[in-house]
Amino acid sequence: MKPPTLIVCLKTVPDPEGPPSSFEVHPELKKVVPSGIPPVINPYDENALETALRLKTRWGARVMAVSLSEKPMVSILRKALTVGADDLILLEDPNFQDLTSLSTARVLCAAIKKIGCYELILTGRQAVDWESGQVGLLMAEMLNIPAVNLAQAVALEEGKIIVEKLKRRGHEVVSASLPALITVSSEAGELRRPTLRAIQETRKKPVTVWKADDLGIDPRGLKKMNIRELSPAPCRARACCFLEGESAAERGRNLALKLREDRVL
Amino acid sequence: MCRLFFPDQSILGPLTDVFRRAVIPTEAGIQKRNEEVNHRDPILVLVEAEGGRCAPITFELLKAGSELSQEKGDTLCVCILGHDVSGLAEEIAWYASRVYVVDDRSLSRFQPDLHAAALYHLCLYLKPRCLVMGHTYENLEMAPKLSGRLGTDLVTDCIRVERDQGTGHLLCTKPVYGGHAQAVFELDTFPQMVLIRPKGYKPSAKDHSKGEIIPLDCRVDVSPTLSESIASVPGERINLDQAEAIVSAGRGVRNAEGIGEIKKLIGTLEKYFDRVELGASRPLVESGLLPRSRQVGQTGERVAPRLYIAVGISGSIQHLTGMVGSGKIVAVNRDRDAPIFGAADYGVVGPFEEVLPALIEGLEELS
Repeated sequence: MKPPTLIVCLKTVPDPEGPPSSFEVHPELKKVVPSGIPPVINPYDENALETALRLKTRWGARVMAVSLSEKPMVSILRKALTVGADDLILLEDPNFQDLTSLSTARVLCAAIKKIGCYELILTGRQAVDWESGQVGLLMAEMLNIPAVNLAQAVALEEGKIIVEKLKRRGHEVVSASLPALITVSSEAGELRRPTLRAIQETRKKPVTVWKADDLGIDPRGLKKMNIRELSPAPCRARACCFLEGESAAERGRNLALKLREDRVL
Repeated sequence: MCRLFFPDQSILGPLTDVFRRAVIPTEAGIQKRNEEVNHRDPILVLVEAEGGRCAPITFELLKAGSELSQEKGDTLCVCILGHDVSGLAEEIAWYASRVYVVDDRSLSRFQPDLHAAALYHLCLYLKPRCLVMGHTYENLEMAPKLSGRLGTDLVTDCIRVERDQGTGHLLCTKPVYGGHAQAVFELDTFPQMVLIRPKGYKPSAKDHSKGEIIPLDCRVDVSPTLSESIASVPGERINLDQAEAIVSAGRGVRNAEGIGEIKKLIGTLEKYFDRVELGASRPLVESGLLPRSRQVGQTGERVAPRLYIAVGISGSIQHLTGMVGSGKIVAVNRDRDAPIFGAADYGVVGPFEEVLPALIEGLEELS
C-alpha cells in the first residue's frame, strides 16, 4: 500500500483537568472564561492523533493536523508536530467563532477539499467544551464518505479500514471503504510524548494558515450557536456528614450505624 | 395504509449518491421549510426497544414529548423502526395519539445509515415539529447523520426541553464544559432535533385511550451501506441503571484484592437491597481492572440508585455527572479534601482496606 494520508481534526479547549474554580461562568456574556488554566488540545482529539500516529508507524503515512479557531492557537497546536504529525493547517478567522456543528463541519470540509487527496479523517468523539459530538459525523455526510463513530482501535488495509466501535456493552467490528472518517474515543489510548527527534524536526515542518477567503467560504453563510442562556452548573453540593471515630475501622462501623439510624438501609 | 417510498437502488442508483445529492439542503430550502412549519405539526418520539419491548428510556422520552405537546396542544406521535414490532406497537399505543410503524427486515439490526435513511424519509412525510430521541450509543451515531441530511441543528445529551411560548422554538438545556456549566440552546430549524439523556425525566404514564397504529408501507433501500458490520463482541450484561444500590471503585482501589473487598460489601448490601451492582470510575476502567460496562460518569452510565457508595473515587466532575441523581451518596476516601465529599451525604476518611471490613461487620450485625 502506498503511504496513506491521514487528516486529524484538532480543537483547543480549556484544560478539562483544571479545578472547578478555573471555569468562570459568565451568564451575561454567555461564555465560560477559563482562568489560570492553559488551553490544551481536546483530549479526545489527542486520542485521534495517537491513533493516526500508530497507523503512521505501521504504514509510513503522512499525518496532517487541521484545526479551526477564531484566533491563533499555534503555540498549543504545535504539540501535534512534536509528537509526529507532518503538517499543521490552521483555519483561523474571527468569523469562525462559536459556530454551530453544521457550520464547523462545513468549514472543515472546505479545508479537506482544498487538501484534496486523503485516505482517512480522524476526529475526537466530542469536544469537552460544548460536548456536541457531531462535527465528525456531519463532515462524513458532507464529504459523502463512510463514518464510524466511537472507535477504540483501527486497522488499515488495502482500500479499507477495520474499526472496533464501542457499543454500550462490548464492541462491534466494522469495515468501511476508504476514504472514510472515524471518531475516536479515549479507549484508543493516550497521546504519546514528544520525541527529541520529532521536536528537532518540528522547525522544518510546514504550518499553513487559511482564512475563510482562502477556503472560498462566505462568512455570512455560517451560523453561530444559538445560546439562550448560560449558567453555572446547578449546585451539586450536599452537606457531608463526616463519621467520627478514633480509627478508620471505627468510623466504618459508625457509618453502618448511621445509615441504619437515618433509615438509608 | 399510508404509502411511503424509500429510494430504490434499481431506480435511483447507489444509496450513497441518492441521498447525498437529493438531500444536502440548500439555504433557500431550509428557509422555506421553516416558513412552512405549522403549529399543529406533530411532536415525534423515536421508540427505543430492548429485547422486543420498550426500553425504559422510551417512557422518559414520551414524558418529555407529552410535556412539549401539551404546551400548545400538539399531537404526540411515536415512530418505531424495526422488524416484527407489532407487540411493541400495541404496547406503545397506550402512550401516544399515533404510532407510525416502519417494519422492514433490514431494520431488524441497528445500522446507522439505514436507520437515518428511514427517519429522513419519515421526517419528509410527517413533517414533525420536533424529533425527540434518546441519548444512546446508537443515536449518537445516527442522529448527526440525520441532522446533516435534513440540514437542521441537533442538540445532544439534553436534560430538559421546553418551548419558547412566543416563537415556539425548542429550548434545550444541556450540561457543557464537562458539567461545569449548563447551556440552553435555542433550536430554530425544523424538525427540531434533540437527544435526551437517560434518567432526566420521570417515565410517562399510560394514557386513558389507545392511540392509532399506522403502518407505513415502505421499501427500505437495501443496497450496501457505507460501512459493514463484521463481528459483534458482547460485553458483560450489566444493568447499572436499574440497580437499587451501587458500590463504585475508583483509582484508590488499586488491585484485584481491593475489588474483592468491594464485592464482599456488595454481598452484604444484598441483604438490604434487591439489586446491588459494582460500578467503577473511568480511571479504574482504563487501568483494566473492570470492564467499561461498569463505568459510571459522563461517558459511561448515568445512574440514580437509592444508595451510591464511592470507594477510592476522588470525585472528578466527569464522575459526578453520572451519579449526582442518586438518593444517598456515601464517600470513602483517604483524602479529606477530595471533591467527592462535597457531593456526598456521608463521608468516611480513611483507607478503604480498614473502613470496608468494619462497615461490612457492622451491616452484618444490623441485618
